[in-house]
Amino acid sequence: MTTISRKARITSRIPETIMFLFALISIVITVGIAVILIRESYLFFNDPAVNLWGFLTGKEWQPMIDKFGFLPLLNATLTTSVIAMSLGIPVGLSVAIYLSEYATDRTRAILKPVLEVLAGIPTIVYGYFALTFMTPLLRSLFGDGVVEIYNTASAGLVIGILVLPMIATMAEDAIGAVPKELRLAAYALGGTKLETTFKVVIPAALSGLSATFLLALSRAIGETMVVALAAGAGPNLTANPFDAAETITGYIVRISGGDVSYNSVDYNSIFALGLVLFVITFTLNLISRKISNRFHQEYE
Amino acid sequence: MTKRIIVLLLVVMAVLPVIAGGSKEIAQPSQENPMAWMEGPSVNGLPGVNPIKVRGNIISAGSSTVYPLSERMAERFKEEGYSGNITIDSIGSGAGFERFTVAGETDIANASRPIKSAEIEAAKKIGRNPIEFRVGTDALAVTVSKENTFLENVTMKQLGQIFSTAELWSDVDPSWPSQPIQRFIPGTDSGTFDYFAEEVFDKQFEPLLAASNLQLSEDDNILVQGIEGSPYAIGFFGYAYYAANAESLHIVAIEGVQASAVNVDNGTYPLARPLFIYSDATIMNEKPQVAAFIDFYLSYVDEEVIGVGYFPANEEAIERGRTAWLKAMGM
Repeated sequence: MTTISRKARITSRIPETIMFLFALISIVITVGIAVILIRESYLFFNDPAVNLWGFLTGKEWQPMIDKFGFLPLLNATLTTSVIAMSLGIPVGLSVAIYLSEYATDRTRAILKPVLEVLAGIPTIVYGYFALTFMTPLLRSLFGDGVVEIYNTASAGLVIGILVLPMIATMAEDAIGAVPKELRLAAYALGGTKLETTFKVVIPAALSGLSATFLLALSRAIGETMVVALAAGAGPNLTANPFDAAETITGYIVRISGGDVSYNSVDYNSIFALGLVLFVITFTLNLISRKISNRFHQEYE
Repeated sequence: MTKRIIVLLLVVMAVLPVIAGGSKEIAQPSQENPMAWMEGPSVNGLPGVNPIKVRGNIISAGSSTVYPLSERMAERFKEEGYSGNITIDSIGSGAGFERFTVAGETDIANASRPIKSAEIEAAKKIGRNPIEFRVGTDALAVTVSKENTFLENVTMKQLGQIFSTAELWSDVDPSWPSQPIQRFIPGTDSGTFDYFAEEVFDKQFEPLLAASNLQLSEDDNILVQGIEGSPYAIGFFGYAYYAANAESLHIVAIEGVQASAVNVDNGTYPLARPLFIYSDATIMNEKPQVAAFIDFYLSYVDEEVIGVGYFPANEEAIERGRTAWLKAMGM
């Protein structure tokens, strides 16, 4: 080995090391977030007034007066997310099917960029859209007495619109990954376009689609700005989507926005809620990975 | 080979400062006399201020009630030539004191209640001695939507029921509609919340928080919007937010007394309360811009306070602030 080749090896190692360090940083940050969440949540659960069972099953959330049941917040989060999904999934899926199976190149060239614009709108704009367009719309449809000014339905619908581009793009990828041979085989057996799409292509793309829906769900659960502006600013355990109710993220944003002083139990509570959110979205993402790995069908 | 290494080094050098975080602010040594802004005729005993000659930035935070007033004063300060930056965060009196006394990040704390003794203790630990300056008086406004046709006047007792145990309006008074009361109140760290709990619930905040249909926000505009939204909604906040939204809100008289300059001045309006700003002698001397701004504030606040939607403090209270200012500056 000559000295020159050793030099060459060293120089080629430098960029590799640098890139490795950057990759390491992202892992360190993730671990750091988890550690801080767990440590601060420990402070919260260590408070004599708090116990884990009461936290998980209590029906009232008002930490200032020692009410630590997080069900009202969870309920509001689930309400907005379910509403978002029931708008986002059918519409997003239809868009995806249309784009990949039916659309001509010209319509695609228009539709795709429009979707991308939708994906690029800041969520605070969606928040005001919910408050100044969706809520008045709901109120004119169902009546002012029925729909409160802040309500989970309006926030949920707008989150549905917000996750729509994500669902549409990812679902289109999943559908596009189904091999052409399957479609041709279906046509050869005399299937119509519609039968081919719904009986062959969609089932074949199901793993990718389920992963898409779960990722969109975890995005909807974590959405903050829209619910902070439009869903309501007080915990409220209600099944009525036209009532105001505060979600987990909405509460965190209100408290961290200067609402209470550090070292109080309310302040610590936002870390416990952050941990809950982290666990929920992390689990959803894990499941979504599992699904796409396990049910991923190899055609060749 | 060496060329590559050089390129690589250059890249690393370009990236490093970004990783290391923003550039540090360089303190600019001022050649001129830091007290050069003291100019012109004195106003009520305080030295005259020439904002053009004031250098440096000012950081303040605190009450959302005091916020519009401080903002107006800062605006006027700039209009008259001040070229620095004034930060005013609207985060609630408690959080404002927290930043002023614990973290020590701010030069001025805005507050809609007097400082608590625990907060003074905290301040002493970081070497600060809070000085109080009275800047005005607020009449806390209890408001309902313009569409509300039944609520003109409440007694203090009814007010207590409305904001705690009553579910329906008819629970408080049978002649009122049997509709759920929707409550919109300031968040738990706001001086307005504290003040209301103190006056209406005898310092107990539990009943206020235990009420159903409760929306809390530190942002008074969220409350305003919520109250406008339903004839069965009710809420309270500083008078300025009512004044700014008078065409969509209706203010309720308390014990038959309307919130007005006369009733606030003669003490008959039950929910009138003082507004303050706080600073510290060391800060005022080390950062003359803070002293200048407070001087300016105390000198001209009476000309602006009504326009913002509050009421002037009585002369005696403002004079105490002026005396404190002179003492802090060793004059």
